[in-house]
Order: sequence, then C-alpha cells, then structure tokens
Amino acid sequence: MSLSKRCHGECMPQSKLPEPTSYERIVLKNFSEYYYMKVQLVFQGESVPLNAAQFKLLIVNALRTLHGEVGSSLPLDLLKYNEDTLCAILRISSRGLVKLWSALTLCGRYQHRECAFRVIQTSPFLLALAGNSRELDLG
Amino acid sequence: MYYYGIAGPALPISWHQVAAAITPRCATEAAWQEACSQDPPLPAIPGHSVRVFIQAERTSSAHFTGNMLRCLDSCPRHLLVCEKSNFKQEKSRHSAHVETHYFNCLVSVLLPECGPLPEKIKSTIEGFGSYFVIRNLSVHEFVTEDFRNTFIKQGSFYALSYQTRIDQDNTAALLPTGKLILSVDKDTYEELGLQGKPSLYSGKNAMRYTINIDLTDKALSADGKKFQRINWCLSEKKPLLFDFLLAWENTESSSILSYFSSYKIKSCPFTINTTVLRDLHCPVINSGRLHGKAEEACSSERVFEWFGAVSNNIDCTNQSSSFISTFCCPFPSTVVQQTSLCTITGFITPEKIQRLLQQLREYFIEPKLTTWVSLMVHGFADSPVSWGENEHGFCRGGENLYSFIIFNNEDYWVQMAVGTHDDCPP
Repeated sequence: MSLSKRCHGECMPQSKLPEPTSYERIVLKNFSEYYYMKVQLVFQGESVPLNAAQFKLLIVNALRTLHGEVGSSLPLDLLKYNEDTLCAILRISSRGLVKLWSALTLCGRYQHRECAFRVIQTSPFLLALAGNSRELDLG
Repeated sequence: MYYYGIAGPALPISWHQVAAAITPRCATEAAWQEACSQDPPLPAIPGHSVRVFIQAERTSSAHFTGNMLRCLDSCPRHLLVCEKSNFKQEKSRHSAHVETHYFNCLVSVLLPECGPLPEKIKSTIEGFGSYFVIRNLSVHEFVTEDFRNTFIKQGSFYALSYQTRIDQDNTAALLPTGKLILSVDKDTYEELGLQGKPSLYSGKNAMRYTINIDLTDKALSADGKKFQRINWCLSEKKPLLFDFLLAWENTESSSILSYFSSYKIKSCPFTINTTVLRDLHCPVINSGRLHGKAEEACSSERVFEWFGAVSNNIDCTNQSSSFISTFCCPFPSTVVQQTSLCTITGFITPEKIQRLLQQLREYFIEPKLTTWVSLMVHGFADSPVSWGENEHGFCRGGENLYSFIIFNNEDYWVQMAVGTHDDCPP
C-alpha cells in the first residue's frame, strides 16, 4: 500500500492530473443518425456460400427491387459478417430503416434458391447488439 | 377505393407479411383488417411480380400516401443521457445509477494499454460466485411470510422471470426493495383479480397491465385481509408459474438451494470471456469535454458508438471508398497496442457491479499509460423495469444499458441509453 502511494506521488503527481470536472448532464433524444440490425440469411435446404461483397449486393438488390434507385442508394454498411453462419451486422441511416426492413422481408431468392432474412436484433445503439438477454441459455 | 400497388418478387407470401412489410404503422385500421381477413397466401404470379392492393375506407388517398411516406422515413424513439461528474463530489449519483438498475445480463470491462487482466480485477470477477435458476415456481411463494422473513428482510433479493417475453408473455420480477412487479396481459389481469395499472405503452385500449405489490408493507401480516386476498389470487384463483433467475446478496446465499429444495433448482456460474485486442484505434477523450471539441476530443455519443464497435469486434479501419463498410473510429484517435476486454454474462446484481466499479477506480492508484477505462452494462430486454420502478417495454429492441468511463483523476462519464418503451433514465 505504502509502495503504491509513494509511486503515485513520485511518478504521477496530482498537479499533472486534470482538475476535477463539474457536473453536467445532456439528454439526447432520437440523436442517432443510424440504426443497427443484426440479421441472418437462411436458405431452404443446403446453404449457398456468400462472401461479404455478395451478401451486401444481395441486400442492395433487394432494396432496388422494392424501393427503386432511391432505396438502393441509401447509406448502408456491412459492419460485420460471418461467412459460416451468414450472420451480419448492418448499419443504415435512420430514415432508411423501414425501407431496409421491408426489402429484407420480401427478399426471397438468391441464385434460384429460396432464402429468407431473419432479423435477430435491431437498435439505434450499436452497443445494444453486443448483448442479447433473449439468447441467455442456461440449459 | 383501391389505390396502392407494389411490385415484388414472386413468392407465396401472405397478406400479413405484405401489410407488415409495406406499411407497418400507417395503414388505417379498416385497411389493416381488410388485409388481414384475406390472410391465405397470395398466389405467386409468373413474371416475378405480385400486385398488392390495400382497400382503405374513410380516408383520402392523399392522406394515406402522406402518412405512408412519413412512416417510411420515421424511426422509433430512443434516448441517450450523458453525464459527467467526479466520484468525490458529494452529490455524485454514480452509486444510484448502478444500484437502481436492478437486472443486468452482461457486463464488460475495457482496459486500454493492458494485456492480461490485472490480478485485483480478475479476482473480483472470479469472486462473483453464482446465481440460481428455478423451474416452475409459483409467484405466491414470494408472498409467504416465511419467505419474506428469510430472504427479503435479510438482504437484497433479486428475482426475474426467465425466458418470458414482455411483449407477448406474462412477466414477473422481485426487486431488492421488496416490490413484486407483475406485468400481465389483459386476460390474466382480469382473471387474477388484483389491482394494477394499465401499461403506459399499450395505447388507449390497454392490453397489458402492471401490478405492483409491496412485500415490505406492514399491512401484509399473515392474518390480514390484504395478505389473504393476494395469497388466494396467486395460489388458487390464477396461479402464475414461471422459471425464475434468483440472486441474493447475502453471505449465506446458498441457503436458497435448501429453501427451494422441493423445486427443480440449480446454481449457474457466470460465463467469463477475456480477449486482448491488438492495435486498436481508440478515440481521444477529454473528461471535461462531454460535447467533444473539433480536432481535440471526441464527443460522448461518438465514444458510446465506438464502445459498440469494440464489443461487437467490428473492424474500424475502413476506407471511405470501401463498398462493404465506411464505418470508422471517431476522430481524433490513437492506436493502442493492446486492449483488454472482459465480458461477464449471467444474472448480475448491482452490488457486484458496484464492487467492480470500485476496483476500476482503484486501478489508477498506480500510474497507468491510459487515462481512462470503461465499464459497460446491459440490462435484460424483458425486464418489467429499467431504472428504479420505471416501466420498461420491448417495442423493437428493449434496450436499457449504461456505460461508465472512469478517468485517472476520479472524473467519470456515464451514458445511459433506453429504447422506445421506456422512461427517461434518472
């Protein structure tokens, strides 16, 4: 204890630390420009291998089919993608959420194979997708 | 009049799916019911298109189309509350934020410039012990005098119904303050015969009710009328059975096992996962600047988003021209050689989080390369409360989470986020 105190005093004197901050609170309502979605692509029967670019193209094409060029030009990012499970985290601008969700619902075919998107989780906070209490499995 | 048509892929989809996909909220009730009444799957039409018509009555097409376009662009309400303060300030509310967020399913600790987890923090996490899961427990067990004397009066007892979804099932929770909260659907509420309030988020015609019973109430003595009524309602009139997650903040927490020995009960350890992230882009944070400053420090909400990227293991080194993703770390940032991330999953009580927070404050007693560390906590999406007794609902995500950033001069930031069906955090 004394050693740590001494070290504290020698190596990092209090004067070098910034002054204590004052209290401040901000409330941000509907601040997020983006919405995040965790989705999984499932195939009827055997699954088809897709890489990240093909996966994104499938979604952009689905948006184009339902909402035209306006839909396909929405800012959409594929933040994370797992080729084995076909699970992905998508980021879409908030005003495009309903368009993306509807396009995913109606997307039913890839390379003449029947498929469907399962929306696992959605949130305006990316951090919320890191934990899912509904997946807490205790056997 | 029929006036809305779309072209979609040729699939055997049902009217429900079409209505949900195109106009989740803007269809008038008449249109919605009309669509739903024709629920059998639409025939797939060769030529890769399905024409969908929704019949809407008592509304003009301009009104309908305007509503539809607005709904296409809207997104659910959400709130983020950011606070900065100092642990040594008398009125600092950091303890209240932690202690009143009762039900937590995941806690992560992020330590920049740190390889393996420091011994003190590691032993705190390993000392969390375990929690319990019990099957088919009747809620009336919590009301009995024996239970109240053994557990509620002897320490903080936490119980939350397990694998019940608050947007479709009945849900129950027992808070450490001795409040029993039942969130039930309309049918159960009417059968049960206990007084409650309509849920804040179920609209004009309430389909969900919240019942709040104070088990520390002195009027709840064994021979009192109130007790007789509650006990009869929960044990005979409409017995409610749930699987529960249980935790008791008491040195003799294992006595839960013997008390409920007539039920199927087991003790569950916490799942601990530790990873070391290499060459991570970390945002520059200044404890005095919650709003950030151009070229100097990142704002609180950008940092909160970055925490999400780190927790999900998302790559932040993208080019702005990349086709796949243009997501990148907030500016300004520095590259940190190694960062330790530890994740704990289970039924985590606020007391345990409080201990961890205390350890993270003590982390800076010895000088460190980093100026801050972080603690992230996720609440249960299906809990009937978020902070205190604030009613909580699922809507689209059920998120209720918070994160602490602890600075080396005892300053801290706290960011609390809630989704649509939730009140503003305290």
